[in-house]
Amino acid sequence: MKGMLEYSQGDTVIHKLNPLSKMIMAFLLCLSSFVSSYILMAVCIIAINLTIASMAGIAKKALSLLKTLLKIGIVLFLLQIFFIRTGNMILDLPFGLFITDVGLEFSVLLVLRLAGATMPLVLMLTVTKMSDLTNVFVQKLHIPYKYTFAFITALRFIPIFENEMNGIIEAQTARGVQFDTRNPIKKMKLVLPLCVPLLISSVKRIEGSAISAELRGFNIRKKNSGYKQYRFYLKDYLIMLLAVVTLAACLFIA
Amino acid sequence: MIEFKDFSFKYKNGEKNALSGINLKINRGDFVGVIGNSGAGKSTFTYAVNGVIPHHFEGDFYGEVIVNGKDTVESSPSELALSVGSVFQDIDGQMVASVVEDELLFGLENFGVPHQEIEKRISDILKMVGIEELRHRNISTLSGGQKQKVAISAVVALMPDILVLDEPTAELDPQSSQQIFGMLRMLNEKMGITVIVVEQKIMLLSEFSKRLLIFNEGSIFLEGSPQEVLKDTSKLLEIGVNCPRVASLANCLTDRKLYEGRVPVNIEEAEAMVGSIIKVNCQGQ
Repeated sequence: MKGMLEYSQGDTVIHKLNPLSKMIMAFLLCLSSFVSSYILMAVCIIAINLTIASMAGIAKKALSLLKTLLKIGIVLFLLQIFFIRTGNMILDLPFGLFITDVGLEFSVLLVLRLAGATMPLVLMLTVTKMSDLTNVFVQKLHIPYKYTFAFITALRFIPIFENEMNGIIEAQTARGVQFDTRNPIKKMKLVLPLCVPLLISSVKRIEGSAISAELRGFNIRKKNSGYKQYRFYLKDYLIMLLAVVTLAACLFIA
Repeated sequence: MIEFKDFSFKYKNGEKNALSGINLKINRGDFVGVIGNSGAGKSTFTYAVNGVIPHHFEGDFYGEVIVNGKDTVESSPSELALSVGSVFQDIDGQMVASVVEDELLFGLENFGVPHQEIEKRISDILKMVGIEELRHRNISTLSGGQKQKVAISAVVALMPDILVLDEPTAELDPQSSQQIFGMLRMLNEKMGITVIVVEQKIMLLSEFSKRLLIFNEGSIFLEGSPQEVLKDTSKLLEIGVNCPRVASLANCLTDRKLYEGRVPVNIEEAEAMVGSIIKVNCQGQ
């Protein structure tokens, strides 16, 4: 899963779409997956996801994501399948457990729905630069720049803090703290106190960051300051139409 | 250009003045190096120039600081930022974007640079600094030196008259440090930007700056051209500033009446100095 949300560079049609149309498409596909009521339909949506991913040149990433999601799905499947008691019994198990045909169908559908609904959002983020996404939010949806800036800064600071935490842990390990213990509870107890130095250094860092942003004119930014323009082209309308048709199909066939 | 008149400052919860009794004039086109122990007031000095003091850090502010004819107390930080560009020590903390191009765009967009001019400014500055190929790179994949170059470019793209840098090479290796200073010299000579740089590596400062300020306990201890300032090794050692080895050597030779002339500031000059001494003293043999 590591590096899943990282932007993967590319020059494909999908990369060049307007970030907003990508977002809308992902959202509609996600919805379609939720309203799909047949297994075949859910499989179709996953197939659409995979097709789009291979068009964007990230088929490998999409498949590994699908694999991870299906692994998580197994747990969900097992939980779900024993709870549904309506329908015809197809397998009798000890301890009063049994599996019915309705239960089986529903559980499979649930897992496929989950996969189909998660994939488009994750894949959309891997083919869209975060800055493009927030820029388009400011320009087209008129969300205040302050909020998008805060959001993007928070995302940017995650790896920085991760680094810092590793630095603190290494420094403490060098002084004999046993972070390499196998006991997770013991490890937890050792890591928790480190939050204090991490917090202090982060606050300091963020203060510096704020000063630096202010000295580059953050406060005098105006609504139309954005340089990059995000227009909609024919391909954007086409892809959105495709997504709407998919959703409509899922709704009506149900 | 920059003028300090009886300037003193005490941080809100500070016990004593971080800086006191500073009287100083810095002219257009100067390259000023600032050095001193930690706690000597170097960072406070940079904050006073770029208006972070008194606008961001509260405290007791005495005297006057005039930058480009404007009193820093009366002008807003954004207003000052138009003439003073600032680069900080924390390389990652001062970035605002994840891609190099966006990092440069941030300031340009904010200051309302006309959109038709933005492209030219970005490509010009990247070319000048020599990092054109990094334009679409993710900042997290760059080396420390490259990141600092990006940070400086992002500030210089705004075309400030003055560039203030607080230990820009603190996290860098010697070679990248040398590169950063070379770049500062180029900006100073080609674009006429006044550079004020705080730095711990005295060798770099003495080689590149036109003027050195040595701070000690909140006031200016020594001030002048590197040659003048570095003449007295023992005086510098007294306040804990290490003289560059080439300057120490020159001072030593001067004390023994073997050499008189300007203090060398880099290896080449030192080599020439030693060469000339050997030539003069070994001629008879």
